[in-house]
Order: sequence, then C-alpha cells, then structure tokens
Amino acid sequence: MIMSKKTVAVSMLGTQLDFVGKRVDRWSKWRPNISLCSQQDLVIDELHLLHDNHSTRLANTVVEDIAAVSPETEVVLHTINFLNPWDFEEVYAKLFDWCKKQTFDNETNDYLFHITTGTHVWQICCYLLTESRHYPGRLIQTSPDNNKESRSVGRVQVIDLDLSRYDQLANRFDVEHQEGKDFLKGGIQTKNEKFNRLISQIEKVAIRSLEPILLTGPTGAGKSQLASRIYQLKKMRSKVSGDFVSVNCATLKGENAMAALFGHTKGAFTGAQSARDGFLLSANEGVLFLDEIGELGIEEQAMLLHAIENKSFHPVGSDKTAYSNFQLIAGTNRDLNQQIQEGKFREDLLSRINLWSYQLPALKERVEDIPGNVDFELDLFSEKTGQRVQFNKEAREVFLDFAQSRDASWQGNFRDLSSAITRLCTLADSARIAKADVLEEIERLRNSWTQNTTSGQNTLLENHLSDEQIALLDEFDKCQLDYVIGICSQHKSMAAAGRSLFNVSRQQKSSSNDSSRLQKYLAKFELKWSDIVNT
Amino acid sequence: MESVRIDGSMGEGGGQVLRTALTLALLKQVKVEVFNIRAKRNKPGLLRQHLTCVRAARDICDGLIDGDELGSQRIVLTPNKVKAGDYHFVIGTAGSTSLVCQTVLLPLALAGGQSKVTFEGGTHNGMSPSVTFLQEAFLPLLEKMGVKTRVEVDALGFYPAGGGKWSLHIDPCESLKPLDIDELKGSQTSEHGLLEDRLSVTAMISHLPVNIAQRETETVAKRLKLKSDIGKIREVSTPGPGNSLIISYRQNGFSNVFEVVGEVSISAERVAKRAAGRLLKLFNDDVIVDDYLADQLMLPMAVAGGGSYTTTKPSLHSSTNAEVIKLFGIHGLKIEQVNKVWRFSLT
Repeated sequence: MIMSKKTVAVSMLGTQLDFVGKRVDRWSKWRPNISLCSQQDLVIDELHLLHDNHSTRLANTVVEDIAAVSPETEVVLHTINFLNPWDFEEVYAKLFDWCKKQTFDNETNDYLFHITTGTHVWQICCYLLTESRHYPGRLIQTSPDNNKESRSVGRVQVIDLDLSRYDQLANRFDVEHQEGKDFLKGGIQTKNEKFNRLISQIEKVAIRSLEPILLTGPTGAGKSQLASRIYQLKKMRSKVSGDFVSVNCATLKGENAMAALFGHTKGAFTGAQSARDGFLLSANEGVLFLDEIGELGIEEQAMLLHAIENKSFHPVGSDKTAYSNFQLIAGTNRDLNQQIQEGKFREDLLSRINLWSYQLPALKERVEDIPGNVDFELDLFSEKTGQRVQFNKEAREVFLDFAQSRDASWQGNFRDLSSAITRLCTLADSARIAKADVLEEIERLRNSWTQNTTSGQNTLLENHLSDEQIALLDEFDKCQLDYVIGICSQHKSMAAAGRSLFNVSRQQKSSSNDSSRLQKYLAKFELKWSDIVNT
Repeated sequence: MESVRIDGSMGEGGGQVLRTALTLALLKQVKVEVFNIRAKRNKPGLLRQHLTCVRAARDICDGLIDGDELGSQRIVLTPNKVKAGDYHFVIGTAGSTSLVCQTVLLPLALAGGQSKVTFEGGTHNGMSPSVTFLQEAFLPLLEKMGVKTRVEVDALGFYPAGGGKWSLHIDPCESLKPLDIDELKGSQTSEHGLLEDRLSVTAMISHLPVNIAQRETETVAKRLKLKSDIGKIREVSTPGPGNSLIISYRQNGFSNVFEVVGEVSISAERVAKRAAGRLLKLFNDDVIVDDYLADQLMLPMAVAGGGSYTTTKPSLHSSTNAEVIKLFGIHGLKIEQVNKVWRFSLT
C-alpha cells in the first residue's frame, strides 16, 4: 500500500484579512487562513503560520479556530519580524533564510505556499522562492466565494509553477523552439541528426546565454551565416538591442588591428585624424562576430580577453576606459589547441571563449542535407535574380548522385555548393538545368578540387612537415607526398595503403611487399607510418 | 473472500452509495470495491467527510483499505470481524457526524458487545440528517427493531465552524426484527387540540439575533394554523453562529422530524415555510414516514430481512440505495406505488 503524502502549507498570518474581531460573527466572514483549512477536498496536515511578534494574540485565535474547523491540522507558529514588509530586500532575505532552515522532504510531503495574505512584496517573494525551488512546492490561493452557502469557507486554487506540466504551454514552447531552430537553419529542412542536435542546443544557448560562443569547422561550413542568424534570433526574442558587428580577423593585420577593434582617439597615431569607436564599442548591447579568430595577433588577444572579462577596455591613445557589453561569437577553421602549442594563441582566451563550442560539420559529412540545400540555393537564386530556374528530373538525379558521392569532396563546403548552383542557374537555357549542364558543372567542380590539392595549399603536408622542410621540397615531391599522405590517412594498415598506391605495378611482381615500398618512400621525407596515422 | 463491485456513479451517485456499500460490506463480511466514486460531481472522488466514513469503517473492523485518499475515486475495503468497543471520530469542516454514525451504527450493534462512539464535528449542517433527527426519528424506530441506543450531546456544531460533540452508546443485539411501521400510525386529525399535543416546533439559535428564531416559530404556527406560542426558542452555545428550525411530529413512540437550517441569504419566514411545507406534505399524502426517514430505514429493514412502511414519492437517493442493497445479494426489496403513496417493503 502506498502511503499518501502529507500536505504541508506555509502561510503568513493576515493581520488585516484574518482579523475580524474576536466576536462569534467572525465565522460569517471570509478569513484566508481559516478558508485554507476549511476545504472539503483539501486537508492541510501541517500549517506553518508565520507572524510577527505584535500579532501573537491574533495568531492564537486563528490557531483555535483552525482546530475547531479542521482537527486534522497541526498549526506551527513561527515568529518572523519585518521592519518594513514592503521592502523587497528584507522580505526576500528573511523568507529565503527561513526556507533554508527548513528541511523539505518531497518524498513524504506535498508542499504548498499560501500567497493570499501578506503584502504584494511577500507574494512576489513566495513566487520567486517557489519558482527557484528553494521552496519545493506549489502556490495556493484562497478567495471568498459568494456562491457558497457560507462565504467564510471560500475556495482555493492551486498554482503549479512547473511550466512543463502545462500541456498547452509546453506545446507553445515546443513551437517556439521549433521556430527558433528552423530560423537558425535558414529554413532548410535538415535530416542530418547530428547537425539537428547541434542546432537544437545552439537555439537554447542563443536564447538563454550571453557567454561567448565558439564556432569551429571548415571554411564554407556556414559559420558566419549561423552567427548572423544567432544574432537575428536574439534580436527577435528581444535578448539584444544593439547591432551585429561581423569582422574577419584575417583582415586586421598590423598596426591598425588594435585601433580597428578597440578604437582610438584623435591623434593617437600618425594618420589618426579623427577618433574612431572600434568594433567592440559598435557591438555594445549587440553581438560581435570575430571570424578566423586564430588570425588575431597575440596583443589583440590579450586586450580582447580583458574586454570580455571586464566589459571594458582602453581605446588606443586614450586613458579613459571604454565600456561595451557585447556577446562574442568567435569563428575559426584552425585547430586553436595546436596554435596554443605553437604559441600563436592564448590559452586563457581559448578557455574563456569555448564555454559553448560547436563544430559545424563539413558538407560531405552532411550528404543527406544536400538536396535540401540545393533547393534552398535555387530559391535564393530566384529571389536574387527574379528568375525561377529548375533542374529537369534526370539532371537533378545526376547532380545529387554526384554531390552525395565520395567523389565530391566539397572542399569549399556550402560556398562550393552555392557557387555550383549559381553557375548552373546562370548557364541554364530556358530556365531548365539539363543533364549536359550538370555534367559540365561536375567537371568544373572536380577540376577546382584537384587544382586545390595540386597547386594549392598541400594542406596535409603542413600537418606533418614544418614550413622549413616544405620549403626544401620540389613542387613535384610536394604534390606526390601530399597525395600519399592523404591515401595513408584513409587506410587502417600500411599494407592496405600500399596496395592502393601501387595498384598497377604490384600486379606485375611475383611477391609484392607494398608496405615496405611505402615505408621506404616515407622515410625519404623522414616520415613514419605511425606519424601519419596518429595525427 | 466474496467480493462486491459497486459503481459509485450509479443513480444519485453521491456519498450515500459509498456509505451503504461500506456498512453492508462490514455486515456481510465481504470485500467491497467502490469505483467511480462521486464521478459526476463538481469535485469528484472522496471529500473529507467521505474519507472519515471510509476510515471509520476500517477502524471498527481493523480491516484493510486501499485508496483512502482525498479525491480518490476508487476504494477497496477488505473487512475483518467488527469489534464492539470505544471509538472516537473527528470530522473536519463541520462535516456531518450523523452520516459517520449511520455508517458504523448497525455493524457495531451486531458485533456482540457494548460500544460507545464519540463524534466531533457538525451536528446540524443542513445537508444531512441532524443529531436531533437521529434522536427523535431514526433511533426510536431502530429500538423497535431491537437496537437499543442512548445519545449524549455535549455540544452542537453548525456549519462552517463545527465544534459539535456527542456520544452514542450502543447495546449489543443478536439480530434485527422486521417492523411494519404503518402499524405505529396514530389517528390523524385536523382538530387542533389533538395535533398540538403531538407537535413540537423548536428554533435553535446560537450567536444570532433571537428575533430570527421568533419569526421562524411564529410563521410555522401561522402556516399550520396553530396557536402562536407553540414554538419554543432554544438558545444554544456553539463555537460559530447557527440556526436550525425543527418541527417534530410524534406518533407512537417515534417522530417525523422536519428540519431546515437557516442560511445567510434566506429569510426566517422562508425557512419556516419550507419546514412547515414538508410536514403538510406528510399529512396530505397520509403516510407514516417522510422521504428522508424512508431512505434511512431501508438499510435496517434490509438487515432485519423484513418490514414495510409507506412514504411520499421516494427520492433518487432511495432508489439508488435499493440498488446498492440488491448488489449485496439482498433481494425482495420492493418500492411500489399504491394509489397515491409509495410502499417500501421486504419480505
């Protein structure tokens, strides 16, 4: 058998409402605390009645009357004195302390806070303490009921502040969250579960937090778009009043960087003919998006950290402190931890800005979202140009097949996809994209990606060799080695990588030893298999 | 153990279904499950006064109960042997002590020993029979059926303050005897002399202006064409204010009691007219008991296994009560219309 819970209520003695004289006709008047204990469908097992030391007599009368009308109720009197019951600070502090002193046991008791008596300030404090769960119960309100045969009994209303209990409200919140999420995704239907989870969390953080947010991910993954949408969502929900200031740190080089970020006074340096606010001040009460934050100089990083922590900084050439309250969103495609090791990024700054750190996936990790994004880009094109262009069915299939295949590396991520669609739309005759157009575009994309790997940055190489080592290599070796490292990192064993690299020549040998050939090749560049696989 | 399931929302669908079921479960020593308790009411499930009845039933037999919580719409009582003895039941919110009494009275009477039950709460709350009704109407008839009781009233209690306290002493009895109440009927005459001897009009008043009581008794006298000083005013002392007008009409050894409790928004004259009207209805229909008493007598009659009486048109209350009794395997209870009156009988 389940033991039913005891009902425990806390109430303030109503020096006005509970006092109607000691005459017998008090029973024909409505008195909140008596009413609380007179309900047919509610038994208060324990009533903690708070009163000040001037009202002891009234409290005793109320105790007697409750005993008559509700013998089940045990009334416990507590003396609590307010110098000024309208002073929020005092009432809250005393009530808070009182709650702290109590031991609450939600397993065996149901708690109610009776809010009908006391000043409005007292009621607000009841509400706050209940909402913050310092008082782990529900609110209860009594009121006179003229329809009842006895006015004095009145009626009660229980108010549960746990919003999740209200289906309609919960639904509304769900709808609002959904709207927020859709907004962050730019209205693109996304099917990638990981990405959707990421957006769900960013939506909550965007609404609730003013702390810095760090967005990482490859270039073109949509960091700046997301930052801008986070800002717009905050603005829509009235969480910020200032502007969105977006700065690419790669453009802030040298002397001007400080002044651009933090502002300067007139004449602070040569050429400073007028004062300038700087980006931090412009972002006051708004959002500052620093893209490619890894490019920021060490000195600027120190200033920025100070500005985030103290919401203040010194403009160049000024002894006056400037104040700016902005939310920082930082973006980077670099590994900031590695930059810290290389001494290029401040560890304290990173730990300050990566409280909310989100890695945006590359497009090729979200292939299921490509169709949605293709449609989105098509819509965008028609919005920009006023011309509605569409794929024919076959062309669309061919494009999507390619776009979602392993062949498509999407190095530039969404930027590449966007460019591809723009080109397709522009080149399409009579607003229809045909299969031939698509095949041409596929060729273009392939070329641009191979160009990147051959003439481009040899990105993989940089991970394994120092700049000095690379400088000593021929272009020929650079390309080859970069490709080899790429293949190696895709395989689990050296033998498998070797089989893939020497796929033709190995067939002519009677006994092939692919791994040893690969090992020798790598050794020429002072590389070992374990170096490649472990990074 | 045999078990009976009762749909608490049947018929009148209130607390009476529950109370009758509890009493019969104790008497017949069967497990009872009542579900849909007060399902169609504004505040469904057990209210405080019902909960007291449920727990009282459990207490006198030391039985097992499931679902004894406020608002619960289902209870299961597994009774043990009822034990005579001293009991004390306290009912909050000036709840009716008479209804709790009604629940435990017969089981205790048949438990083979002397019992004393003390009740605290409301005695005259208007919505249920008062202690006066028990004393003058119900208990005398029960005594004729073999159950001897004695009432000691310490204090009365009105709604909403309560504070009433009284005790009931119950002598043990072997079994209840069938009773044909119509045989107790006195000759009814409209001649004032005779009627006035058998009528008493009492206005009880506490902490309220006495003229309320005066106006009530005077209006009753006028209405019934009786001499104006027939009414008695009884000032009582209760924790809260209250007023109840009681007309008793004595026949051979028992009375029909008509009581109306004064309310804030109802004038003394209307209170009087209501009470007088109910007496006149009894006279007009020429029956032995009024519908309230008829309702209360059904259970003892069922326990006695026989008896009969005539009454005015029965309320939904009565027919529901009869249904519940039938569910406990007591058959043969008839409510039939004979000419202008209704006859309750069990053979």
